[in-house]
Amino acid sequence: MAGVSVLVQGSWRDTLSRFAYQLKKSPMTMLGLGIIVVVLAAVAGAGWLAPYDPNQIGLVHRLAPPSAQHWFGTDEVGRDIFSRVLFGGRQSVGVGLFVAFASSIVGSAAGCFSGVMGGRVDSIVMRAMDVVLSVPSLVLTMALAAALGPSLFNAMLAITIVRIPFYVRLARGQTLGIREMAYVKAARTFGATRRHIVSWHIARNALSPIIVQTTLDIGNAILMAAALGFIGLGAQQPTAEWGAMVATGRNYLLDQWWYTVFPGFAILITAMGFNLLGDGVRDMLDPRLKVK
Amino acid sequence: MHKFTDRRASLSLLRRHVLAALVAGAGTVAFSPAVFAMAPKDTLVIGKPADPQTLDPAITIDNNDWTVTYPAYQRLMRYKQVDGKGSTEVEGDLAQSWKASPDNLTWTFKLRPGQKFADGATVDANAVKFSFDRLMKLKQGPSEAFPPHLQVTAVDPMTVQFKMEEPFAPFLYTLANDGASIVNPDVAKRGGDIKAYLSGHTAGSGPYRLVSWQKGQSLTLEPNPHYGGSHKPHLRKVVVKIVPEASSRRLQLQKGDLDVAEELPVDQLAALKKAPGVKVAEFPSLRVTYLYLNNKKGPLANVHLRRAVVDAIDYKGIIDGIMLKQARQTRGPIPQGMWGYDANLPMPAQNLKKAKEELAASGEGHPTLVLRYSTQDPNWEPIALTAQANLAAIGVKVKLEKLANATLRENLDKGNFDISVGNWSPDFADPYMFTSYWFDSSKGGLAGNRSFYSNPQVDTWLRKAATLSDQSQRVALYTKVQEQVTRDAAYVYLYQKNYQAGMRKDVKGFVFNPMLERVFNVADMTK
Amino acid sequence: MSWLPIVKKRLFSLVLVVIGVSLITFVISHLIPGDPARLIAGERATPAIVAHIRHQLGLDLPLYEQYWHYLVRLAHGDLGMSIRTHRPVLQDIRAFFPATLELALVALFLATLIGIPLGVLSAVYRNKTVDQVVRTISVTGISTPAFWLGLGLIVVFYGRLGWFPGGGRLDQGLAPPADITGFYLVDSLLTGNIPVFFNALKHIVLPAFTLGFVHLGIVARQIRSAMLEQLGEDYVRTARAFGLSRMTVVVHHALPNALIPSITVLGLALGDLLYGAVLTETVFGWPGMGAYVVESIQALDFPAVMGFAVVVSFVYVLLNLVIDLLYRWIDPRITGVS
Repeated sequence: MAGVSVLVQGSWRDTLSRFAYQLKKSPMTMLGLGIIVVVLAAVAGAGWLAPYDPNQIGLVHRLAPPSAQHWFGTDEVGRDIFSRVLFGGRQSVGVGLFVAFASSIVGSAAGCFSGVMGGRVDSIVMRAMDVVLSVPSLVLTMALAAALGPSLFNAMLAITIVRIPFYVRLARGQTLGIREMAYVKAARTFGATRRHIVSWHIARNALSPIIVQTTLDIGNAILMAAALGFIGLGAQQPTAEWGAMVATGRNYLLDQWWYTVFPGFAILITAMGFNLLGDGVRDMLDPRLKVK
Repeated sequence: MHKFTDRRASLSLLRRHVLAALVAGAGTVAFSPAVFAMAPKDTLVIGKPADPQTLDPAITIDNNDWTVTYPAYQRLMRYKQVDGKGSTEVEGDLAQSWKASPDNLTWTFKLRPGQKFADGATVDANAVKFSFDRLMKLKQGPSEAFPPHLQVTAVDPMTVQFKMEEPFAPFLYTLANDGASIVNPDVAKRGGDIKAYLSGHTAGSGPYRLVSWQKGQSLTLEPNPHYGGSHKPHLRKVVVKIVPEASSRRLQLQKGDLDVAEELPVDQLAALKKAPGVKVAEFPSLRVTYLYLNNKKGPLANVHLRRAVVDAIDYKGIIDGIMLKQARQTRGPIPQGMWGYDANLPMPAQNLKKAKEELAASGEGHPTLVLRYSTQDPNWEPIALTAQANLAAIGVKVKLEKLANATLRENLDKGNFDISVGNWSPDFADPYMFTSYWFDSSKGGLAGNRSFYSNPQVDTWLRKAATLSDQSQRVALYTKVQEQVTRDAAYVYLYQKNYQAGMRKDVKGFVFNPMLERVFNVADMTK
Repeated sequence: MSWLPIVKKRLFSLVLVVIGVSLITFVISHLIPGDPARLIAGERATPAIVAHIRHQLGLDLPLYEQYWHYLVRLAHGDLGMSIRTHRPVLQDIRAFFPATLELALVALFLATLIGIPLGVLSAVYRNKTVDQVVRTISVTGISTPAFWLGLGLIVVFYGRLGWFPGGGRLDQGLAPPADITGFYLVDSLLTGNIPVFFNALKHIVLPAFTLGFVHLGIVARQIRSAMLEQLGEDYVRTARAFGLSRMTVVVHHALPNALIPSITVLGLALGDLLYGAVLTETVFGWPGMGAYVVESIQALDFPAVMGFAVVVSFVYVLLNLVIDLLYRWIDPRITGVS
């Protein structure tokens, strides 16, 4: 009965204070949270923090090394890389959040539904998910993004669609497990409707592994978006995007190291922050790790 | 738990052994001398970014493939070398002499004796007929350069005749194309699909032949033992190595793992010039980069708006800043180095005031234009960004769309764009390549006239010039054409690029021919 | 004999999956705007030539007919002709797949070799410094963009230090070993060709490390959580009470039980590795399926893209079947219907 968790008993406030307490115990999670806060603040406040317009070209001082005027140097048309990294964060982090939440919500809803309905519907849905999961996700993502046309939105859509089956599987597994639990059966005998069961009991309890997975997915989604941007299927010029910047920077790698290093590092730090947080969340919510 | 302990014990023992082996292996690997195959003096290693697609001369239209096919085959004509430089003029290679009929419809060639294919068979008129019949029947890209319904007959073993329906002035030049390679007819005797065979093997009479090909890794060429031509190969082996990452290619060149590194970005080449042991071979080429303006639909169908665009572009900024001065600005469709070049045309220059006047005269207000491009050429993106900024300065908004190359070409063919960027290099050394292809209304779309320019008067001039044999008459017509199309602002001419390749200092004998980019005259080269 | 029903069931779903996959990739690849015939013909080709090529490739038939022909050929094991390389797709895949598989397997090997001990250490010394260090490494691993890491490794280990080659599978002077499995490391050992073995080994280190670094993190975390679960179990406490040393308990008892659920993860990691291989292969010039697929998508080479998808999903389902059977074999407690 994996996943029946801390949320079964107690109110939300209890859970939150327990969360804060455990947070203090784990420095790594706090680090992760700290990183995320800094990144989100920097990205949201790009408009004030960026010294230059990220799309301002200046062929005269192209490929300039990091200096007082350009902290991260300039790119091949003279745009300030620091400003582009800040603004680019909006695309990259935005994608990560969107993909993780969208796929999680849609997939979990579908999975819950499938688990509760059972029977033919459940079989068909799972078969379909199996098929989609078997298609090499890379091919599917790239082909979808190429078919829909290279743009940030389409890249997001492609990655989201490819991630949904994971959540369907996960949520369905959870639902099946909980459905069989005694208290659910008890609720049925009280005449509770199916819908009530779904929304109240099952959703609340299936939640924790899903939350864990979603948080962990954010970092992954950021990396995948960067990978698509690297191939050229992400945000289009002149919009800055971290993966695309690393891709263009490849050509200048040997002499103008700053072009690849800074955006790549931004990807690393951001993904790391979300992963640390995800780890911490999992440690807190996963009962199996409670050492006796 | 018994079962597990046994298995576990043995497994952990196994792991210990594996660990030991790994440490030993790692030791060997780490401490072995850095054996970097600095190629011996009789082997030339050329580094390319991508594998050739197909080596079949009747199918390949990619210069990337020609690096391997051109030295492996011979053709009726070849380009001359004048003063150690590649010329666009041609001389006979397999052809010893030739004659055209008075109406220019029939060409007769006498073949040079003693030319042999790599398997020892003699190159005769039958081989020429076989190759051209196959080329025209397959109807793939390379066949397009030749007159339609070309008839080839083998009059006798050493004489071959070509008949066409209309006179085609550049015909002699087209015979030096990669598509005009003479293929050994014995391939038909092998059985099986000829195309499949030729896509991965060579069957020619050129100075080299393909010995092996590890897809995605390298191709090896060795001399043709029966070669009968005049450019006898010096190098015992030519290896073409596939290194997709530009930075890796450059590193390998610097370390001596490569002798020649192709397709390096301009910035890397600038840095290479200062590196020891390496030189950068630089030559003016006939490859031009230009902007297409959709003359047929959209706001740019208005000639004043087009002129505004032409006047708004920062030409100097592009050449100095993006091309690092490794390009020459072009003043018309025909580039310098090709006859028909008109030095009297005005050189375009950025003039924002004039641009704004033309914009006002167009009556289009402040339109938004869509600029579609791909990253096929790394310079296109910075050019697109510059154009966007330049046009913003006169109040024209440009929306940039980066597409996959295949998608871009689709859009170009259908005319779904306002502005786009492109490169063009001539298939044969004749101004026809830069005029008829670009301006003849029947060639609209990807085929050549990418701006969909249409002017009946220009059409007449062009078609006449294609049939005349008197060069001075043709020059007069092409001058008229160039003046008219410049007035009509059909395209925005940017620059003709310098061809650059990174080479080790000890590589000698490379002669660049602007008609043959990415083809190395390996037969003449030494280290 | 209890596996027969499950094998049958899986084989049936294999067929379903292959059909489903081919349909999906067929639809999607035909959605990608662009005309492969035009690409082959070249830019200067006249519409007549393009039409001729399109007819040759059978692209002017209605879509459902094209798909039907494809399925029929697929049933005979014919994956069609690659539009780009003019070779049978199956031949292309057979030429490029071993390279990717070899890279993925070596990467997986490195990841488990380093990841398992790290995971064990991390679990045993939970929340101590060791644990924090290992967790930092893990998290860094899964957060690093592989293409960025690869580029960095090339610049440092090839550019500056010259310890490893900058790309490719073998030095161009050396001939590859006889093609028995397609794995250079295996084939060179089988044919007793030691210099080639070491050369191939040198070439595979950097790309395998790049690819494996991510999975190092995943493996360590997985082992850590599985180990933690085991260490909390009664039998561990009992064994300790009997005086067995900590080392024995951990390595000989807890670890094997922790490995069982991890097998699935490792198996799936192989799938992930194949995904990650694409970018790593591009950066290192490794002639594998990854690079092949990217180029095929860009060249609109439908048969190649579809062939790749079908083959990989086939292998994936087969792999899952093998893992499931392995699971059942190792842990006889698991029985019955899936």
